[in-house]
Amino acid sequence: MDDNKKQEDKGVFDLIEGLTPVDPGGLADFKQAMTQEVIPEIVKVVEERRLLAAESRHWQLKC
Amino acid sequence: MYTWIPLNSTADLAGLGTQISAEYDPQNIVKKLGAGLSSAVKAVLVERNYVDKDYRSTYYNFYAKKGQSYRADCVRLHFFDETVTFDAKALRLACRDQQLKDHYFGYIVLRPTGMATIGRSVLSPDIRTGASGFVITADHKVHLLGYKLIIRGFPSMDQHIDISVCAHAACWSILRHYSESYSIYREFLTHDITLMAQQFNPGGLVPSKGLEVSHAERVFQEAGTFPVHVARAHQNDPSFYRQLHAYVESGFPLFAAMHSQGHAIAVVGYEWRTPLNDPVTQMRYAWDEVKSIVVVDDNFLPYRSVPVQGGTPYSAEDIDAFIVALPEKIFYPADAVDRLAPTLFELGGLLGLPPKDDTIIRYFITTGSALRGFIRDRESEFDPKLIETVMTLPFAQFVWIVEFATGPDWAKGQISARAILDATASLREIMPFWLFHSRTKALVFDRSTVGADVNGIRALALSGMEKTAFTRWDQNLRPTQGK
Repeated sequence: MDDNKKQEDKGVFDLIEGLTPVDPGGLADFKQAMTQEVIPEIVKVVEERRLLAAESRHWQLKC
Repeated sequence: MYTWIPLNSTADLAGLGTQISAEYDPQNIVKKLGAGLSSAVKAVLVERNYVDKDYRSTYYNFYAKKGQSYRADCVRLHFFDETVTFDAKALRLACRDQQLKDHYFGYIVLRPTGMATIGRSVLSPDIRTGASGFVITADHKVHLLGYKLIIRGFPSMDQHIDISVCAHAACWSILRHYSESYSIYREFLTHDITLMAQQFNPGGLVPSKGLEVSHAERVFQEAGTFPVHVARAHQNDPSFYRQLHAYVESGFPLFAAMHSQGHAIAVVGYEWRTPLNDPVTQMRYAWDEVKSIVVVDDNFLPYRSVPVQGGTPYSAEDIDAFIVALPEKIFYPADAVDRLAPTLFELGGLLGLPPKDDTIIRYFITTGSALRGFIRDRESEFDPKLIETVMTLPFAQFVWIVEFATGPDWAKGQISARAILDATASLREIMPFWLFHSRTKALVFDRSTVGADVNGIRALALSGMEKTAFTRWDQNLRPTQGK
């Protein structure tokens, strides 16, 4: 019972063998691109799509 | 009640014209079947007095109220290959291997309405002239003469014209596919669809005056799905078509609108173009490799192949809005995946990704359990440590898959790397990942702690995968095998 509880309390990294820490420097370019370019663009494009969808909702379909 | 019509040539289809009364518009049916079905169909069984639930829903609510008398029952046509025989006296179907369902190509219901008489139909894509590529299908049970047959296909019907239009037919097809595929969705009949489109019962012929795109969205919402409505920004909006393709690849049929034609269809499949031998010289997407899409258009028999460009009466690029009826819990939109995917090359140094300009990107949605099943079925392709990782990560129900393939990979149906994104991630997440791996390295993400940053990421060195197949995941749709 105690062993089962311990197993449930383990984090996912404790359950997988062979994992090693990641050099933060290797992630720097990705994080910078995400925060400075990609996420603002995603937010913008999702809002633009919402407005386009609002316009197209009134199209008539009857053929 | 039952008539067997052997088809040794297309001319034999004319026999149908003498077996079916004028209210079912036999001449037009003979013409459509002659042009639309392949020569693999060698017999038609005509089943009369068939009670069709979809026609009955319109009969009780519309046709029975008219001064003109309409029949309450339908005719159903069943299609078989050359191995099946029919004993008219014993009303028995037989075939050499006793596996009747393997020789059955599906059915078409004919409504007694004089015009637009093709009702609820499920046909095999394999016998549709010109159909090719991968098609979204489900198993449909058919009860005939005490036999329980199964036909794998996508439902279709003609619009009624007087009480329903193309958009109703497209909604009906998609929702009938859902009710046959997923137990959480109930079945909706034709008349139900016309009512679901409106806030109140419009009565009479009002539904035939057309549907707005918003009404179709409402139908899917009323059916218990979570519709996402995507509209094209302008004529040259490749991201729109990449998303259209991604949802179809994911197994979601699309309600597609063509504003210029005032027409709606269901997009249910696609066909790849032949891989080019030329090396990939700039980053491409899976949509760039698509030759045509497969549609269910109520003006034609199902599985019509529509080229990306230059088609008549329309091509894929005439679609300028679509609705995808998603389940709940897909929060990260395709627009975000489309923009995020090329940025993943910034992690190339950690994973050993192919050069960006040599790569074809493909993305789609699946479930965590389907991912585990895919990996389990191909254990020999993966390092056991990676299999352990996939089996251990506590995926949310839905995940986005992003696959990276070089030109030679693509030609062999293989990939170089695969990212697994959390479909429940929020738009502003920097690391919406579960896992990202190539043939030699993996990044594993612990999503149990918000804001874990680099502490929530670990690397995993992989071995033994340098020369394994690393198969592209093409398993969601059924390949057409023309007969």
